[in-house]
Amino acid sequence: MSGNAILVVGGGFSGITAALEAAEMGYEVILVEKNPYLGGRVAQLNQYFPKLCPPSCGLEIQFQRIRSNPNVTVITMAQVTKVSGQAGNFDVTLSIKPRFVNEKCTGCNACAEAAETKVPCEFDLGMGQRKVAFRPNLFAFPMRYVFEKNRCSEAEAKKIEASCKYGAIDLNDQERTQTFKVGAVVEATGWKPYDMSKLENLGAGKLKNVISNMQMERLCAPNGPTGGLLLRPSDKAAPKRIAFVQCAGSRDENHLNYCSYICCMASLKQATYVRERVPEALVTIYYIDLRTPGRYQKFLEKVSADDKLMLVKGKVAELTESASGKVLATVENVDTGIKNVEEFDLVVLATGMQPSTAGEAVAVNTPRDEEGFFIGSPDSGVIATGCAKMPLDVMRSAQAATGAALKAIQTVAGR
Amino acid sequence: MSSPVRIQPDPSFVRELQAAGGESVKKCYQCATCSVACPLSPSENPYPRKEMVWAQWGLKDKLMNDIDVWLCHNCGTCSDLCPRGARPGDTLAAIRNMTYRKLVGPACIGEWMSSSKHLPKLIAIPAILFAVIWLITQGGFSIPEGDIRFGKLYPGDYTIDPLFMLIFGFMGWSFYKGVMNMWKSFKSLPETWQLGVEVEKPTVIQAIIDVVRDEIITHRKWNDCGKENTERFKGHWTLVFAFVALAIVTGVVAVSHWGSKVPGFNWLHMLGDTPMPLYSPVKLLAVAGMVLGLYGLTMLTRRRLNQDSQKSGSSFYDWYLLGVVWAVFVTGTGCFLLRLAGVAGLAYPMYYLHLISVFMLFAYLPWSKLGHLVYRTTALVYARVSGRLPLSRVEDKVFEI
Repeated sequence: MSGNAILVVGGGFSGITAALEAAEMGYEVILVEKNPYLGGRVAQLNQYFPKLCPPSCGLEIQFQRIRSNPNVTVITMAQVTKVSGQAGNFDVTLSIKPRFVNEKCTGCNACAEAAETKVPCEFDLGMGQRKVAFRPNLFAFPMRYVFEKNRCSEAEAKKIEASCKYGAIDLNDQERTQTFKVGAVVEATGWKPYDMSKLENLGAGKLKNVISNMQMERLCAPNGPTGGLLLRPSDKAAPKRIAFVQCAGSRDENHLNYCSYICCMASLKQATYVRERVPEALVTIYYIDLRTPGRYQKFLEKVSADDKLMLVKGKVAELTESASGKVLATVENVDTGIKNVEEFDLVVLATGMQPSTAGEAVAVNTPRDEEGFFIGSPDSGVIATGCAKMPLDVMRSAQAATGAALKAIQTVAGR
Repeated sequence: MSSPVRIQPDPSFVRELQAAGGESVKKCYQCATCSVACPLSPSENPYPRKEMVWAQWGLKDKLMNDIDVWLCHNCGTCSDLCPRGARPGDTLAAIRNMTYRKLVGPACIGEWMSSSKHLPKLIAIPAILFAVIWLITQGGFSIPEGDIRFGKLYPGDYTIDPLFMLIFGFMGWSFYKGVMNMWKSFKSLPETWQLGVEVEKPTVIQAIIDVVRDEIITHRKWNDCGKENTERFKGHWTLVFAFVALAIVTGVVAVSHWGSKVPGFNWLHMLGDTPMPLYSPVKLLAVAGMVLGLYGLTMLTRRRLNQDSQKSGSSFYDWYLLGVVWAVFVTGTGCFLLRLAGVAGLAYPMYYLHLISVFMLFAYLPWSKLGHLVYRTTALVYARVSGRLPLSRVEDKVFEI
């Protein structure tokens, strides 16, 4: 690696795009991802708006571009622990977790079948379970299994090792560090859903049939815990009355003091998931203002033509649970001036976007605002992009990342 | 069909309201979290969300006729949950302050009571009045000789009693007008429609009895408020009963004094001749009132000083009332102790200060925050008569067949 290589931190849609745009211009790129797979939040979606494509639609092309481009080096399960130097001359240290599965893996699933220990699945946001030896997701790239050796007994580990006829299980794998020189850093660390447990008046994440919008994506995804059937968590029944609570944490100085940009569109989109899966279900979206910027207004018009969808101005400010597992939502309908307690089978909180690194130390020395978004300082050689910089949808993330790639190239060009 | 409504915003009213403690009102973006957060707010046209938009528009008439600002007991839960820091709790308190200011004349008292810059005038009136009486009774600012009897400086029969009877008359008349104005304005509001089970509405008399028994004596609503309210509840409750105790003491003294002048009832003076010995039950009640009052004031002041300034604030109305009540209790306690200690040179000036603070408490009462004693009670009575009740929680009913 040399002074004109580019480090891209984060392998979500922004990071992949920035890495490819720079690599296809002939620059050497190292793409570092914390998870064992690329694709980030997009990979977890059922569909993304406005065309309601499945995530494989956009990601597959990107993965294909990565595969065919020797300039991109992908390192998964890795985190940047140290960045020193200045623009054009950074020394970067990575810490790479052991995967316990080597490159001989064919993705045959034998190790997962041999494994017995089950743990909550992070990819499904805790809604399903997975084995300790697992495929990160159906559409994983790189398509290689992961074995969490330290979460099962030694005997089970031996059994899993024996189950692989390709010799892909490596029980001696170790955590290791790797260092190299780059000329620019693109910070594309993305976002995380706001922690529901902080929303005390909305049940603090303790009510069984109150889920986040990202959990709703997993519930409706064909590769999700229910195989794409919309079943409420408490009793696996199909919900007949569903509410979406907008601004669950966003636009609130006690939580996220900004608009998360995508949640209104996400809830409208998820209303179409409900209509496809439970045609007779009644859906209510409670909002402060419905924000569907630009051309998304058309999507609002299309979705709101559904006569079983109600759009109610008024924020749900209290959620409780009845003995029979229904969710009781208290809300004032601002148009009618009536405050009521409404009963729902399932409530989806449109939780906002928080920068992934909010509240955490980061290796790059670059300013962040009080909410944790990177402000970005291209002169310093560190370029922030995507949802690490501001809440964005997929389309605008791709546009921003292309711009970030250009900034990175300008930093390293000619060195 | 909806018909267009012509509204007339009053920007100067908005500015006055902001100065009276509602400075954050314009931050509100009408999400209605506050209406849900409030456990006392009824289901139909709940408050305080609608008051926030009326206040932003300066809809003075709507706010001045609004019963709901009096149903609020200012626990601050709405302000805590407000996503914008718009402080609905403070705004409702500011609307109440505007009502004290505007409900009855003379307008100049309302104006003077609205800001600290007029405070010197408010103090000067009783200060000059009682200084003149001192001059007249003593022929100069001298301290009376002999044992300490405040009656030597301010003879009850000719100065204190007639003066305070006038003050109380003035106060009572102002309150009568205020209550009448208020009741009339509530009548102009639409009635609550009762659907389903018919609920019998109480008569006015029954409603008054209910309010006194169920709200004033027990302060029940304070515990229904959504928040940890113990300090505020203890402070307010003890202060109310301190005033009740002191009112009884004053009543006994007045009745025994004036009653004993009626032929055949001169034995009455045995009850309330001042100064009383310390073992007199009336004196003991007075001392109990004094102690309760100081305790209550401490609790209420501590709460105001410790409250999260990011979430709620205190207006001039809050501090004026706390200040005057502190002055009444501190100077009253001072008179009592200095008299017992025999320090005449300090006891008489202390009594002078006590008279000033008592005058300020009662003469300006209908325009001060203490006006809530009458106006909130009126609103609570009207709310019962009209059936404006908080949203009842849904009970989960499971029928098994």
